Amino acid sequence: MTSAAPSPHDLELLSITKNFDSFTAVDSINLKVGRGEFVAIMGPSGCGKTTLLRILAGLETASSGQLYIRGKDVSDVPVNLRSTRLVWQNYALFPHLDVAGNIAFGLTLKAHDKAIVAGKVKAMADLVGLSDLMGRKISQLSGGQKQRVALARALVTEPDILLLDEPLSALDAHLRIRMQGELRRIQKQLGMAFIYVTHNQVEAFSMADRVVVMNKGHIEQIDAPEDMYARPKTEFVARFVGTNNLFPGRIQEIGHGKAIVHCAHGQVQVSTDDPPPVGTGVFVVVQADKLKPAPTGVAGENRLEATVRGREYAGSHNIYLLDLVDGTEVKMTLPQVLPLEINQPTTIWFSPAHAALIRGAA
Amino acid sequence: MATVSKGNPWIFFGRLWLGIAYAFMFLPLAVLVLFSFQKNRFPGFPLQGFTLQWYDKLFSDGTLLNALGNTMIVSPAAATVATAIAFFAAYAFNRFTFRGKTTFLALVTLPILIPPLILGVGFLGLLARIHLSGTLFAVFLTHVVLITAPALAIIQLRLAQMPASLEEAAWDLGATEWQTVVKVVLPFAMPGIFGAWLLAFTFSFDEFIIAWFVSGFQPTLPVAIYSVLVAAIDPSLNAIGTIVFGISCLVLIGLELVLLPLLIGKPEKQS
Repeated sequence: MTSAAPSPHDLELLSITKNFDSFTAVDSINLKVGRGEFVAIMGPSGCGKTTLLRILAGLETASSGQLYIRGKDVSDVPVNLRSTRLVWQNYALFPHLDVAGNIAFGLTLKAHDKAIVAGKVKAMADLVGLSDLMGRKISQLSGGQKQRVALARALVTEPDILLLDEPLSALDAHLRIRMQGELRRIQKQLGMAFIYVTHNQVEAFSMADRVVVMNKGHIEQIDAPEDMYARPKTEFVARFVGTNNLFPGRIQEIGHGKAIVHCAHGQVQVSTDDPPPVGTGVFVVVQADKLKPAPTGVAGENRLEATVRGREYAGSHNIYLLDLVDGTEVKMTLPQVLPLEINQPTTIWFSPAHAALIRGAA
Repeated sequence: MATVSKGNPWIFFGRLWLGIAYAFMFLPLAVLVLFSFQKNRFPGFPLQGFTLQWYDKLFSDGTLLNALGNTMIVSPAAATVATAIAFFAAYAFNRFTFRGKTTFLALVTLPILIPPLILGVGFLGLLARIHLSGTLFAVFLTHVVLITAPALAIIQLRLAQMPASLEEAAWDLGATEWQTVVKVVLPFAMPGIFGAWLLAFTFSFDEFIIAWFVSGFQPTLPVAIYSVLVAAIDPSLNAIGTIVFGISCLVLIGLELVLLPLLIGKPEKQS
């Protein structure tokens, strides 16, 4: 869209802050989004993710900070002149227009040639799979179809960046998974940067190149989904993402690529290249599916004595709830073929390589 | 429902009662229409035969028709101006929060709450001072003041159903504020605007008291009817009454078709 010097980033946020009276909804956010990158912003409700998205769209003005789109400062550009488009959670389709009218809305504002508009609308309808519904009224569409219209209406104007605000949350589970795949396909096909706000971890992790986790207006962590999952960097992320067990403790010894952590239930070893100094308060993070029943008759590290307290059936696997000797609650997922007996003592185990350290415990 | 049988006397009396109530409401209208086509000088039986003489008298005399003409100028004009004001006011109330919003809304609604007699006296004094009393324009002005409030209420009702994201979506797609109002808000509000216009028109059409005070030598229809009625009982009144009834029916059918679905709610499913 712009002919300015190409920037390696589609979007760049420099300490964007938004205050509502005394409440800081968005707290000095720094974020760079590469060309054609799919970034998911995730967090609990009220974490400021939607406010941030509205700032990007120009529907809210940041209290301070700069916003660049393809290297151009757009901090003061009003919403209708921004090269961003927003897809709403409730779709916000125009009820008085039919499907074709909705898709064409943005184009007709600029008095293009009618034939060109019609051509673009048709091409976009093909892309999102709406070709057979062009004359339908909005009230006659299903949720998934409305979602496609909202998407087409935004994409047909060829924005630099597409912003999506929980676009799939109103759809049923089956349709949601299908639309995830399609969103990803369309995004790849167009090579357009997508900023996708959601509170749904599965959506964020399955679609995004990078995931941003927000909490109380600030960014907790930015990482690729695998890294976010395997190596959460803060206590908040560790508790918010995946099913993690957090053991508070203190670094007792470091060396040989390992740290020995003293926890309430005993010592555990964690593999790490960059251990915090001895005496630091930490959390040892172990994912529920990295815990295993310990092999019998073999001595080894990270063996935890526990009692099985309960079992949740989760289809292909079970989620077991266990108590450690000091009362710490632990979650462990096991395949159905490896059953544990309830109320029986057992020994569980995890590899030092499968644990991560987070600074911060008392 | 299941216990109701055909022979239940309560049902019979209920239906009878309903019939009586309806007869009470509509018999006068039926009599009015009937005697506008009868030779009788006074409404009473026996009927003396079909005639169009009262319509003939009405059309040749011209007083009442002239008044109907006045009304047909004033009421649509007042309804149109009031609806336009009401739309923009409703839009502002719906979209913005500003200081004195409640006060402002109360001030717009006030004229409909003041007894028209008081309002009429007030208008007469004011309009006389600015040399406008006794004109059709005066009736127009006072009616605009009076009927803006109900028009506003109806349009506001409609606009309140519009999700804020609809306007935001239009801006986001590149529309200016004005384009958004024209291309999105106005079409959305249209059923409300249409209903508001019809209601405002009806209010103005049969408004008598204020018009009586300010219309002077250019009476509107209700004022003219009253003047004729004071002089003598004239079967021409039945004729004009029938014509007005016909017009009212058309307007009311329009109202029912447009306004009632709006009030009872046939909301577009948005989410």
